[in-house]
Amino acid sequence: MAASADIIDRCQHIFDDLHFRAARDWKAAVPGRFVVGYMPFYVPRELIHAAGGLPLGVLGGGDQLEVIHGDAYYQSYICRIPRSTLELAVTGRLDFVDAMLFPSTCDVIRNLSGMWKILFPKVRARYFDVPQNFSDHIGGTFYIHELTELRALLAELAAHAVTDDAIRASIALYNENRRLVRAVYALRARMPWQAPAAEVYLLMRAGMVLAVEEHNRMLDAYLEAAAAEKRPMRDNSRVVVTGAFCEQPPLNLIKSIELAGCYIVDDDFLLVNRWEKSDVPAEGDPIAALAGAYLHNSVNMAAKYEPDEERKGLHLVEAVRRTDAEGVIFACPSFCDPALLDRPMLQTVLARHNIPYIAFKYAENSGQMQPIREQAGTFADSIKLWSEP
Amino acid sequence: MVVTAGIDIGTGAVKTVLFAVDGAATQWLARRTDRVRQRDPFQLATGAYAQVLAEAGLRPDDVGYVATTGEGELLDFHTGHFYSMTTHARGAIYLDPQARAALDVGALHGRATRIDARGKVLSYRMTSQCASGSGQFLENIARYLGIAQDEIGTLSRQADDPERVSGICAVLAETDVINMVSRGILAPNILKGIHLSMADRLAKLLKTVGSIDGTVLMTGGLALDEGLVAAMQEALRKEKVPQPIRNHPDSIYAGAIGAALWGAFRHGRLARRLGQSAAA
Repeated sequence: MAASADIIDRCQHIFDDLHFRAARDWKAAVPGRFVVGYMPFYVPRELIHAAGGLPLGVLGGGDQLEVIHGDAYYQSYICRIPRSTLELAVTGRLDFVDAMLFPSTCDVIRNLSGMWKILFPKVRARYFDVPQNFSDHIGGTFYIHELTELRALLAELAAHAVTDDAIRASIALYNENRRLVRAVYALRARMPWQAPAAEVYLLMRAGMVLAVEEHNRMLDAYLEAAAAEKRPMRDNSRVVVTGAFCEQPPLNLIKSIELAGCYIVDDDFLLVNRWEKSDVPAEGDPIAALAGAYLHNSVNMAAKYEPDEERKGLHLVEAVRRTDAEGVIFACPSFCDPALLDRPMLQTVLARHNIPYIAFKYAENSGQMQPIREQAGTFADSIKLWSEP
Repeated sequence: MVVTAGIDIGTGAVKTVLFAVDGAATQWLARRTDRVRQRDPFQLATGAYAQVLAEAGLRPDDVGYVATTGEGELLDFHTGHFYSMTTHARGAIYLDPQARAALDVGALHGRATRIDARGKVLSYRMTSQCASGSGQFLENIARYLGIAQDEIGTLSRQADDPERVSGICAVLAETDVINMVSRGILAPNILKGIHLSMADRLAKLLKTVGSIDGTVLMTGGLALDEGLVAAMQEALRKEKVPQPIRNHPDSIYAGAIGAALWGAFRHGRLARRLGQSAAA
């Protein structure tokens, strides 16, 4: 049995590698393979897999990439992820990527899809729109059309049709991935000292680069190792971290929150791997199944419209209750419109339910963690010492 | 009754205490201060913990909660970590039940905290990153002047014509001191000048935390510097802060004491929670 440290060590290497060698090696191993990059927060990875491609999560440049060219394309009041993503591409780090998908996270990401078309005409760039109406006959019809167009694009890249059988097989494989991801999150919520947030994050980040089959084996091995190892339990406060679904927080920020005395028991990092709350049906019409899962069985977040005002923010309350959390940390990227516009509404809901919270902003390259430690540390203390027993 | 340890890993020193707590009754079993002096603070803390246990005739298994504060969150055998402000607040109440503010002056920065009678933090302010308001700066200057650290307070109180230094920038302040030495200013006047500059900044900090309904207790490594305490009294008079400012012979342990006592509080709460879970 592999030790969790060995598994996480490999994940750390994948995380640190801004040339995506694992994905390059996957592509080079078999002629005809192709890679489809995607940005946060969601794309139907099953379709890419069914076509024979590798879905590659492109999540910005993190805190190790010096952005020089990327800054030339954006005003100073725009978040950092589009700059560093452009930097990755302009410097050739994404030169093996055959297509890029830009989900409808916000205007900035949508506009990045247009820039990609101009700057990299040989790459198939597509703005991947998702419905904000959740009735089957309106949002569902629209989304099935969107998925069908994506299926056609992928068939072009693959030079063969993407069959229903292949999509159903991929859905089953990703169901297994989601089951394992949920199991890791459940383990962390139950025993956060056994699966620290930074480890869980690295494990999930590896799934943005590796083929799903390999990631499933990795998750399985981690679950076995983490359950078997005995680590010291600390008297930490249990918190949910929210607002970090697009531009990713620096790894040191996640570590700093836990070092400051908080156990992160739920988060919204890398939502794509648990977008659907339970299995997507692997029988029947697979496109309809994917569309139905999006409309009726996906998580709530800032870039997804909540039509029922009464339900707004309740997903966060439910996350707190489900994970037995004691508070919420709003960690949002600077200039992130969806997260920062949503925050006051969510805070109002938390206040109504007597759930304590704090808020701070970060950029993917934030280096100064002292203020974060200070805020998270005092928040943890206030929960531990002054909340109701 | 529970035995708890408080370990305060600071930039300049590691402070370790051991307490026995039974409800509101507390017994201070052992204490120890180790200057870091370029050694590994975590090794120092591990050694200090073993020493206080030996002094109290206890084994690690006898300790119900090991609480760290300061930079102690990476100490591998801790049960829980508390932020410095929280622990200094609790430590201040333990050392002086009339305290309603703690002024923690350590090697790297100063921090003013307004507190209530339970040791709850009501508001706080910290000095900015610049080191000129810190113990580390004072220690450096003493070294340049060839003065032992424990002489600083006594010499400062002998000053008759103090020369103030830049209160903003450590680099400028050091230049000021070099100029003073070349001009033949005596060490007591230089040291008092530094104390007054530090006190000015700390007094302004105290004023920003709001109305203090009690005494101000100085905590941290510099609380025992009588020269700084005297300068603080002058500065508070100048700033028209009527509350008395005091120190305590054990002020340096305030963080460690607070950690140990909060550890006992958490131990009780966790035990009750476990009991409730078992009953359910």
